[in-house]
Amino acid sequence: MAQEASSSTSSKTISLKTGDGEIFEIEASAAKQMKTVQRLIDDLGDDITIPLHNVFSKELPKIIEYYKKDITGEITKDFEAEFVKDLNDDEVKVLFLAANYLDANKLFEFLSQNIADRLESKSVEYVRKYFGVENDFTPEEESKLREERAWSFRGIKEDE
Amino acid sequence: MVVIMQEQQEAVEFHDLPEGCIENVLSFTTPRDVARLSLVSSTFRSAAQSDSVWDKFLPSDYRSIISQCDEEIDNSLYVLSKKDLYVNLTQKPILIDDGKKSFQLDKVDGKKCYMLSARSLFIVWGDTPRYWKWISVPDSRFSQVAELVSVCWFEIRGWINTSMLSPNTLYGVYLVFKASTSRTYGFEYQPCEASILIAGGGGDPVVERNVFLDAERGRRLRYQIVPRRRTGIFSRYLEPPPPPQVEQTESVDDLQKYPKERTDGWLEMELGEYFNEGGDDKEVEISVCEVKGGGWKGGLVLQGIEIKPKPKSC
Repeated sequence: MAQEASSSTSSKTISLKTGDGEIFEIEASAAKQMKTVQRLIDDLGDDITIPLHNVFSKELPKIIEYYKKDITGEITKDFEAEFVKDLNDDEVKVLFLAANYLDANKLFEFLSQNIADRLESKSVEYVRKYFGVENDFTPEEESKLREERAWSFRGIKEDE
Repeated sequence: MVVIMQEQQEAVEFHDLPEGCIENVLSFTTPRDVARLSLVSSTFRSAAQSDSVWDKFLPSDYRSIISQCDEEIDNSLYVLSKKDLYVNLTQKPILIDDGKKSFQLDKVDGKKCYMLSARSLFIVWGDTPRYWKWISVPDSRFSQVAELVSVCWFEIRGWINTSMLSPNTLYGVYLVFKASTSRTYGFEYQPCEASILIAGGGGDPVVERNVFLDAERGRRLRYQIVPRRRTGIFSRYLEPPPPPQVEQTESVDDLQKYPKERTDGWLEMELGEYFNEGGDDKEVEISVCEVKGGGWKGGLVLQGIEIKPKPKSC
């Protein structure tokens, strides 16, 4: 592929290919914010379409939207509130995992906060279902832990 | 809106989430949530112990605060995990500033609490033994407390810089004291004037109120025991007791003017409150005085002035 000599980073775009085969463009300066992408660029060069096996076409546009705002310095509390407003729990989880995979720190921190907010004062069982984890404690271990941490259960509806 | 398809779900199974991700989410919750969620699974329990989570709950300047401790305590604190350090600081105050103040974290949300020792306060006539005596008592956190023998002019002042306080917090300011072995007198009917103001602010005090440093009266009001309608001790045994009612001149709101009992055996009198926004460097001046009535007062032991977040139910 023909390459422009000394192209400035700001105008260059990188092609990203999702796990389900779709291609999206992102500005190089935004790609830099995602350390996994940047590492792939460093290894493979910036002319090649970067494959992202664990990110899909449903969530990548949302991530790109976030970083587009980030490079122009326009991320505000209002923007972030709007960004997650219509997302359900599953959608937030998918974005969170993608941000982790992409090593996109700012988005990762923001979504950590959002998930923490969604889990505030929720029961243990609710959190297990949310994260899809099994209870791997023995009944004895569990009752001992509950006893030690009884104070933290006050006011929590356990069957939520 | 967005539907997660089967084949996608396989690639992004949530339970494969690395412990570091769980730690990050937990660090944005509260100490209470972290304690409770350690029950979710063994991975959560492990994440819940991590330093990176508890580091976030400790106040950002905790290192410089605990470095003001005496050396022995200081070293032992550094050896603890951040979680144990946090729990330790909520359970037991440490002495800082050469023993002049104590520091602690509030149990509920880790906000900073301080008690200014009596020695660090400005007490008028405090150095004159016939008015105030300095003694040691086993149940004080400080090496010395001030015993009020007898004064006419009762004036106590203390200061704290807002930069030491947690931001975005409503603080209550309390005089911490108790009755001495001799009877407390002079405070039952003559209120003291308590005020909180910004030193050098030139403006009006933030809070000004009248308080009665009389525990007995407060106790009676709290339990709504009325002075008996009939005099004579025998009336108690011969007739049914009169129905409880609050004293005529006072209401439940007036409870604010009397000391409350603390769990450590001392009393605390709320002198006022102060909302600390944070990010500034102002001196808050706290004072409690009775200098107008002219009566003699005595029989108190003063531990200090405590500044701690007001309980949320207030």
